[in-house]
Amino acid sequence: MKPAWSEQFDADALRPVEALKLQQPITKEWAWGDSTGSGVKVAIIDSGVEVGHPAVGDIAGGIAIEYDPDEETLVRLVEGPHEDLFGHGTACAGIIRTVAPDCEIYSVRVLGERLTGKGIVFAAGLRWCIDNQMNVVNLSLSSGKRDHFDLFHELADEAYFQNVMLVSAVNNVPKPSYPSLYSSVFSVASHERKDPFSLDYNPSPPVEFGAPGIDVEVAWSGGSRCLATGNSFAAPHIAGLVTRILGKHRGLTPFEVKTILRSVADNADRTTKSGPA
Amino acid sequence: MSQSSDPLREIARLAADLGPALVPAGHNELLRSITAAAKELFDAAACSMAVLDEEADELVFHVASGEGAEEVEGLRVPMGQGIAGWVVTSGQPIAIEDVTHDPRFAVDVAESTGYVPRSILAMPLETDRAVIGVIEVLDRRSQRDRDMELLALFARQAALAIENSRVFTDLGRALFASLERSADEDLGETLRSVAAGAPKPGSDLADLAAQFHRLALLGDDERTAATRLVGEFIDYLEAKRRPR
Repeated sequence: MKPAWSEQFDADALRPVEALKLQQPITKEWAWGDSTGSGVKVAIIDSGVEVGHPAVGDIAGGIAIEYDPDEETLVRLVEGPHEDLFGHGTACAGIIRTVAPDCEIYSVRVLGERLTGKGIVFAAGLRWCIDNQMNVVNLSLSSGKRDHFDLFHELADEAYFQNVMLVSAVNNVPKPSYPSLYSSVFSVASHERKDPFSLDYNPSPPVEFGAPGIDVEVAWSGGSRCLATGNSFAAPHIAGLVTRILGKHRGLTPFEVKTILRSVADNADRTTKSGPA
Repeated sequence: MSQSSDPLREIARLAADLGPALVPAGHNELLRSITAAAKELFDAAACSMAVLDEEADELVFHVASGEGAEEVEGLRVPMGQGIAGWVVTSGQPIAIEDVTHDPRFAVDVAESTGYVPRSILAMPLETDRAVIGVIEVLDRRSQRDRDMELLALFARQAALAIENSRVFTDLGRALFASLERSADEDLGETLRSVAAGAPKPGSDLADLAAQFHRLALLGDDERTAATRLVGEFIDYLEAKRRPR
């Protein structure tokens, strides 16, 4: 089964893209080599992360954000450990851990028991990530509400200029959803392969990157594992690769990281002779 | 300002009273046919649909077809729980296979499905404004590449049908809220306040509307007889209330 947008990554649909003509081509070895993502801060904006899950281990920190109309900011921030209410945040953390085992994971829980104020809570989660200098942020959720367009756009731009990499699963239905379709965000859908280090670049965005998201084995709550399908499992694969890259090359900007990902994509044609055009 | 001198508020009250009687006939049948068709298409053990109750932050299972259907209908599940809850809060679809090897997972799914499946495919019901519920297909025997895409089509139909019926059940608010969007600022403010002050749909009127709906499904003769009977009964009640 293929989630929406993932058909663009079908073997017969995906066009090859020309690799950058550099003196030395960018390879996976150069991009991340044996980096483990050590020292890179990765936030998972989701349903919480189960600390101690065999696939996740320990995490560096957590914050739960809840809607509270009595607060001036309309949200209450609760720092400290929290459980994963659904299991999905743990799945994302497990994937990121597989790709970048030594990164510092922060759980930013915005999905909870209430839907009221969801957009405001989600925005507060992004704000927390920017203010706390996260390097990579994995977002498995998005909003189709036009009401939130401005708010999310402002936050996505701010993240971009502060080198905070926002990695977001595209929605299932082919219609606008924010922030996944902003150009400053790494937007991700699923391809069919299983190797966590395999990725595709789509030359016909808005969805830019393809990663494993179909029948992938993921961690789930209660220490368990299951087979799952969804673009929301593809996004943490790309978040993990971005983390590895940053572990090796500190201080890169989002456009530099996107360039690297495009260059090492499996559909990048590296047979073109390197050298000046 | 008295009620009678404020035609806008009077219209809002009338609309709220009338709305429930105007809910398109066969609304529930339509939703039921969507779950039944999805169950058939995927050759699935069951298909169910839950709609968000925003005030209670709960998902209410309205219709279901297949295994466990009777147990599921009317079931309320807290938002912060299970696959259905995650799908509605995140707005993302998800498919999980082989859920039975984990007891906690299986119980979690069973609580919202009335049946312990091996696999689950869940898709948000989304309108242009918001996610309003979830449709779940359990144990698909027919699995294809386009399953998510196909279920998204069913989900879209269901979401539109639910939104349409909501417009009628809360017509007082819906009418003025929709006018407000096309009005200038001053008029918009007035309409907003009328919409906010419109009476909520009364449950007794909704019950009455439900009876009308049942009536509509009967034949011409039965409708004529029932209408005459109701008319006679109202005449009798009015006569009783008249001062002697």
